[in-house]
Amino acid sequence: MSQSAMLKESNDTHSNQTLAKRFKIWMAVLIVSMIAGGGAILYRVIEGLAVTNLSTFVPWGAWVAFYIFFVGLSAGAFLLSTLIFVFGMEQYERVGRFALFTALICMVVALTFILLDLGRMDRAFNAMMYWNVLSILSWEVRFYLIYMVLLATELWFAMRIDLIKLAKDKSAGLKGKLANVIRLGSSDTSEISAKKDHRWMKILGIIGIPIAIIGVHGGTGTLFAAVAAQPYWNTPLFPIIFVVSALVSGTALLIAMYVIQRKVRGKSVDLTMIKGLAVLMIFFLIIDLTLEFYEFLVAGLSMKPDKMAVLDVMFTGPMSWSFWGVQIFLGAVVPIYLVFSKRTNQSVKALTIAAVLVVIGIIGVRFNIVVPTQIVQSMKGLPEGFYFPNWVEWLSSLGVVAMGLFLYSLGARFLPLETQEGEVKGHE
Amino acid sequence: MGTKYDVLINEGLVNGADILKSSKYDTSLGLNMAEDARRLSDGLISEEEFVSKYQESVSKEFNQKLEVHASEGSHDNVKWGMVIDLRKCVGCETCTVSCKAENRTPPGVSYNQVFIEEEGTFPNVSRTNIPRPCMHCDKPPCASVCPVRATYKADNGIVVQDADRCIGCRYCMVACPYGARTFDFGENYDEMLGYEEVTSPEHGMDRGKRKEGKAPVGTVRKCNFCFHRLERGEEPACVETCIGDARYFGDLNDPESTVSKLANSSRAFRLKEEYGTEPRVYYLR
Repeated sequence: MSQSAMLKESNDTHSNQTLAKRFKIWMAVLIVSMIAGGGAILYRVIEGLAVTNLSTFVPWGAWVAFYIFFVGLSAGAFLLSTLIFVFGMEQYERVGRFALFTALICMVVALTFILLDLGRMDRAFNAMMYWNVLSILSWEVRFYLIYMVLLATELWFAMRIDLIKLAKDKSAGLKGKLANVIRLGSSDTSEISAKKDHRWMKILGIIGIPIAIIGVHGGTGTLFAAVAAQPYWNTPLFPIIFVVSALVSGTALLIAMYVIQRKVRGKSVDLTMIKGLAVLMIFFLIIDLTLEFYEFLVAGLSMKPDKMAVLDVMFTGPMSWSFWGVQIFLGAVVPIYLVFSKRTNQSVKALTIAAVLVVIGIIGVRFNIVVPTQIVQSMKGLPEGFYFPNWVEWLSSLGVVAMGLFLYSLGARFLPLETQEGEVKGHE
Repeated sequence: MGTKYDVLINEGLVNGADILKSSKYDTSLGLNMAEDARRLSDGLISEEEFVSKYQESVSKEFNQKLEVHASEGSHDNVKWGMVIDLRKCVGCETCTVSCKAENRTPPGVSYNQVFIEEEGTFPNVSRTNIPRPCMHCDKPPCASVCPVRATYKADNGIVVQDADRCIGCRYCMVACPYGARTFDFGENYDEMLGYEEVTSPEHGMDRGKRKEGKAPVGTVRKCNFCFHRLERGEEPACVETCIGDARYFGDLNDPESTVSKLANSSRAFRLKEEYGTEPRVYYLR
């Protein structure tokens, strides 16, 4: 919230001092959130999952929803970066490194969420030690790690020359020292080596596309879709919807992050690029909505009672506001209007609001994937489930998200993520 | 000496030696065997020791051959299965309660439940009670989704849950079409004395006291067909305590067993067969 407040007063030029002050306030807010969230996490670690609203009847809740949300953000951000580094869409170049870094941080956040959700956090490494080839989840764990290594490597190639420049720059201070460590001894800044970097980024991007689509996010969708006992998930369209909604949220997040960062630093925003990205986001969103529409339509028309029961919970249950209000109205109707209306689509602010709303809408999508199907019990005699996260789950989630933003802010501060103005040029 | 109650009880007590004296067989042999049989059932001596000790005298005295009951000791080639006769089930939940008592399951953890389904309106009403233990599916979806192979299909047909490997991700709970899995949130029956003395005996091993934060707390738990009882040659608790004798238990690999015959009857059906899970629990409609 403090972010948007900062945004408002950003049009005037700022001295380095106010910038440093803002950064301090921002970091302080994050640290306070992390301490509060850390308290809730500590409470959960000591007392176990009993302190959450999870139950035997609704075993998966907010943390699982946030986990798939952040995996989706990561996959979406990465796929957007491939538009730049693989498909050569240079108009988006400015967000390229941010996209990679965001993707990496989102994975860290996602894995933290799923760690919190484990009944026995002390056995988390069992997931690496033992492998069940039939279990998608078992594959996912490995894909996540491969994917994170790939992201880090690609990001390194993207930053390499800037790291070397920074390391040589005596006035860069801590940033320079860090760059000196991260450059890993590399010192070649020639044109040829830059070309090589781009080649590597392209290769890694090409390898990364199937890993991100099939392995990481399609796989996460399959993790749900493969469960025959949950008829709502059990459709082949489900993993595809996962990937498309990842593209939606990833694009939206990058728009929001880019604009907010630039504004806070008092720098100009590339409106043409923002408009392009916003249209791209709405394009993905409309595909996403279409797929979901058919998912619901086919389920409804085929009148399968167990699917109808889940749709009934989602559309008319006590939590249906999260579907109609968050997922449809805030997450789709308003952003589509903001991006297409002639009155608003020239305004950076309106487009940013649209992007933020889309991100929030996708949180609703993730919750509506995880929760409603569990409300409907597998056996008729079991008690009706209800789930809404309690304060422990909310507060710990706040803490984990704050951790992600903290890491991101540190990265944005100390790593050369910003592409220099002159640098934007074609590869190949 | 003692109160008149003691006197009454002592008069009522039957003296084993006196009774054995009235038979034509050796009294001391009978008393010794009874003594050792008790030690055998307490697990102090093995069946082999018992047999070797008495084999000779039994064949001399009774002209019978005493041997180790091989089929009960080792359960090779057995595929355990259960048949539940819904016409006999009265919906009393004795199975649920005896299961909780036998397996010392904590609050919120129940391996067995009885679902009551009422259909129609008065006066045309029917009521069906469906007791639901774990189905011990031949193709268990819980086992195929488990990322760490903590739950798996054992050779004897039981779907086992390894409380020492489970990471508590609860994927299996989401994947089970029968709702047969519960999560151990670590709660306790504080009002019950001695409740925490034994932890999940169904694994057939002594896990010691139930303590906070110690497995199986934080893991998923499920019915084990009372594996510890099967090892002792006993039936699962729910089968043994069923007041209507509605449950049958045995080897589905043996075509002559009661369960095999009942499972092949025209009354037999299984829950949610459309999922292809191939349950090993049959119902008789």
